[in-house]
Amino acid sequence: MFRLCLTIASIFLCAQVPLSAAEMLPADQPMESVIDHYVDDLIKTNDVQTALQIDEHILVRRLTLDLAGRIPTTAELHAFVSSDPTTRRAELVNKLLASPDFIDHHRNELQVLLEYPARRNDNDFRKYLLWATEQNRPWDSMFRDMLAGDENDEYQKAALQFVKHRAKSLDDLTNDTAILFFGVNVSCAKCHDHPLVEDWKQDHYYGMQSFFSRTYLTKKQSLGEKFYGDVKFTTTAGVEKQAQFMFLNGAIVKDGTPELNDDSRKKYDELIKKLQQDDKVEVSYPEFRPRERLVETASHKDNDAFLARNIVNRIWQRLTGRGIVDPPDQLHSENLPSHPELLDWLARDTVEHEYDLKRLIRGIVLSKSYSRSSEWNSAADPPSSHYFAVAIPRPLSPRQYAMSLLVATRNPPHWEQWLTKPSEDWKKERTGLENSTNSWDDTFEIPGENFQIAVDEALFFSNNDRIENDFLRDSGDRLVGHLKKLDDPQAAVSAAFAAVNSRPPTKDEKKVIVEYLDSRKDDSPAAIKQVVWALLTGPELRFNH
Amino acid sequence: MAQPESIFCGSADHGLSRRGFLGAAGAATAGTFAADMTRLDGLKNPLLAGQVKRQQKSVILLWLAGGASQFETWDPKPGQSTGGPYAKIKTSANDVHISELLPKMAQRMNHTAIIRSINSKIGDHGGGASLMETGRVKDPGLIYPDIGAIAARELGRADSQVPDYVSMYTSTEGRRKGTSGFLGARYAPMFLSDKQIPDNMRRLDAISDIDHQDRAALRDLLSNRFIKARHSEKINSHTTAYSRVHGLMSSEKLFDIEQEPESVRAKYGPRQFAQQCLIARRLVEAGTPFVKVARAWWDSHGQNFETHRELCADLDHAMSTLLDDLEERGLLKNTLVVTLGEFGRTPKINASLGRDHFANAWSCSLSGCGVQGGSFYGRTEPEGNTVADGEVGAAEVFATILEALGIDHEKEYMIGSRPIPLSDFGAKPIKQVLA
Repeated sequence: MFRLCLTIASIFLCAQVPLSAAEMLPADQPMESVIDHYVDDLIKTNDVQTALQIDEHILVRRLTLDLAGRIPTTAELHAFVSSDPTTRRAELVNKLLASPDFIDHHRNELQVLLEYPARRNDNDFRKYLLWATEQNRPWDSMFRDMLAGDENDEYQKAALQFVKHRAKSLDDLTNDTAILFFGVNVSCAKCHDHPLVEDWKQDHYYGMQSFFSRTYLTKKQSLGEKFYGDVKFTTTAGVEKQAQFMFLNGAIVKDGTPELNDDSRKKYDELIKKLQQDDKVEVSYPEFRPRERLVETASHKDNDAFLARNIVNRIWQRLTGRGIVDPPDQLHSENLPSHPELLDWLARDTVEHEYDLKRLIRGIVLSKSYSRSSEWNSAADPPSSHYFAVAIPRPLSPRQYAMSLLVATRNPPHWEQWLTKPSEDWKKERTGLENSTNSWDDTFEIPGENFQIAVDEALFFSNNDRIENDFLRDSGDRLVGHLKKLDDPQAAVSAAFAAVNSRPPTKDEKKVIVEYLDSRKDDSPAAIKQVVWALLTGPELRFNH
Repeated sequence: MAQPESIFCGSADHGLSRRGFLGAAGAATAGTFAADMTRLDGLKNPLLAGQVKRQQKSVILLWLAGGASQFETWDPKPGQSTGGPYAKIKTSANDVHISELLPKMAQRMNHTAIIRSINSKIGDHGGGASLMETGRVKDPGLIYPDIGAIAARELGRADSQVPDYVSMYTSTEGRRKGTSGFLGARYAPMFLSDKQIPDNMRRLDAISDIDHQDRAALRDLLSNRFIKARHSEKINSHTTAYSRVHGLMSSEKLFDIEQEPESVRAKYGPRQFAQQCLIARRLVEAGTPFVKVARAWWDSHGQNFETHRELCADLDHAMSTLLDDLEERGLLKNTLVVTLGEFGRTPKINASLGRDHFANAWSCSLSGCGVQGGSFYGRTEPEGNTVADGEVGAAEVFATILEALGIDHEKEYMIGSRPIPLSDFGAKPIKQVLA
């Protein structure tokens, strides 16, 4: 256990590093230019070569995947490419952020993040996240909903699934909260103090744990909190200690538990026992509720650096493939942020704008740092990913992939109507698509650290009849049927590339495929299917690149 | 991109032109595929298998799901109040006695080492299984790979044309898929439950074999430019996954025991567990580094002795046949056969003549590769309530398995900035049972 933790414990120190006010850009500067300033600054300082900006095809694809959770339809692709180059990027970003697609996609991403490390696909929790993203609920409010929500409120009750799923394991509750909301993995400090960094002690781990130690599930599956109870632990020196209610930066919450004599303790013990065994008893709560106090303390302006930096870092990672602190649960002295001022600026901006995640996402995707190419054709090795000088190809999430496959394999003209129809109609269509991805969600792995694509996926695409039936059907409402009707190999190749890879084919690609189609005139429908299969299974669709 | 002209000959003879396409564009794919077929055919013959003697090492894990009783298997205590009705018998290894329920294994103990002093502490099915599979207690911040994923990673080839981690399970009770944890999906098990053959191994009738090969070659061709311009391990894993498809499809027959001569099938017999052991032998022979065959359900809270009479007979037959077969083919010295479960069973015999969960003093066995055959390690006190000598935990068992395979158990994976050794921090292998 010891070596695992060598580097983990200096979080406390890092959190205390004061911001250099002189180097912080003004708060009212546009976020995208602040991002580019800091990213370019590190690139220039280290004389790093960068990749080019992406072209309009890759740009509309990247933005649509990141903001709508799917590739663009052929209609959207053509509309973007033919619109005014000076304004189209900002217009598209605004349009997508206001679309029902964004609500679904943002919800899906938050769900994957917050269900870590399991894959529960909990319906109540999904419902809560949808409600929260529909109104762009501030992140600090969501934090409160999930950790200390009100059971009497339909949505906050669903949010509490975060705690309920982990209620049986105090370690899971402590660690997952620290990892997912504060970007800190404290699990190592359970067994010993850090040997090199004075400030990080078992006190911090057990301090965090004490906020959760009174939490329990009643027989009715309500979340209760006990009326008293201390966390005790044994130090490596063998001394027994009682934990304080201590936040990660050392801030102490005063213990508000009333003095209880043995009789009242016994009374409370019996009440809790009853609640755990009998589903007819109404749950009652103590005055002093540690989970609420944790929420208050962590959101307080003196202590909110953890909460703010973590969500900034998580969103940054989602959109670029790497955290400013990477991995995102490892903020400590041997793993400093690549761009500390940028992280602090974005965290400050997020707090000052009421934890508005949409604003944060908008700023990032409008930056030039976001829109660099993932191509690196130079003979020299590409620069380290922490410069963000070359885009990192990101595997699609299961739902992004499923949704993209569904979009790509419809007949392209189907999508034209939505360019002009009212958005209410699109919302219905989009909800239908989202529901169709439910049955695909388990088929693909969730990308995470050390993610690899399994051979199971390749076997599935090669031999499962769902691929044949759902994606390669040649009826008129499908891509294959549409290409067949075109009866023109040149046009078919262009249409297939637009639908699947969101770009025109190169001359060579066109030539190869047209020749293949020509050689298979004995069975053109089958040949078209093989071409579509070859594109659908290609890395170009599988990744956001 | 290659010159497109040379790829399609445009001949009216489709068969010819299609072969031309594969020949130019899919040379690598087709080549590997053909080589693999030859290899598999060759392995039908035990003599040939000996000739292509592999240095490659493998594991067959016989997982005794639910928790087998150490008293009725490797650590009998006849005559004690806790001992139950069965006697102990002499074995082909001096000084080693095992339960009379394992007579065939008794004759083969010269290949086998027993560890009798496991104190793994965790006595619930989920926690115990997770502990024994990964060799350590669950860490909330990290999902550890199990022994199968580690073996697949350390012993397998990245471009392997055979599956490198296969997990077979037939009972619904205690079914566990296995996990590759932070090693990623590349090392996740191919899991078989209700079928003997894995999913998606067989081409659909709707597509011809040639089309199936062609579209894969077309896919590779169209992907080339994209892959070459990007430096990404994740993209490479995608490429590797697709490059293994046809090899794996041709390994489908490894799961088909009808391919075995009648004489071999007769030795294994008609029962499922033994047949799965035969599949495991076929896989190992073809280069699969890790196969888990789970047999359930040993969880004998009631009627422990009848349960064990039946399950031990099955284990005794399947395991002894497997060891004989591996030895005959020259594979035993490179194949480690392990019996393990989530825990053992209580010394106390309860009112239903059952034994309950017990993790404080129980046994496992290792046979074949890297093992000091005929040895045993550790001792429980006479009634089996505690370990009397040589106490070890899950981590030591894990380290011992790795060392037997020639894998450095202290080797570290870097997860972000965290070094994670293969076996838990500070664990030492049990040298006394290693060759």
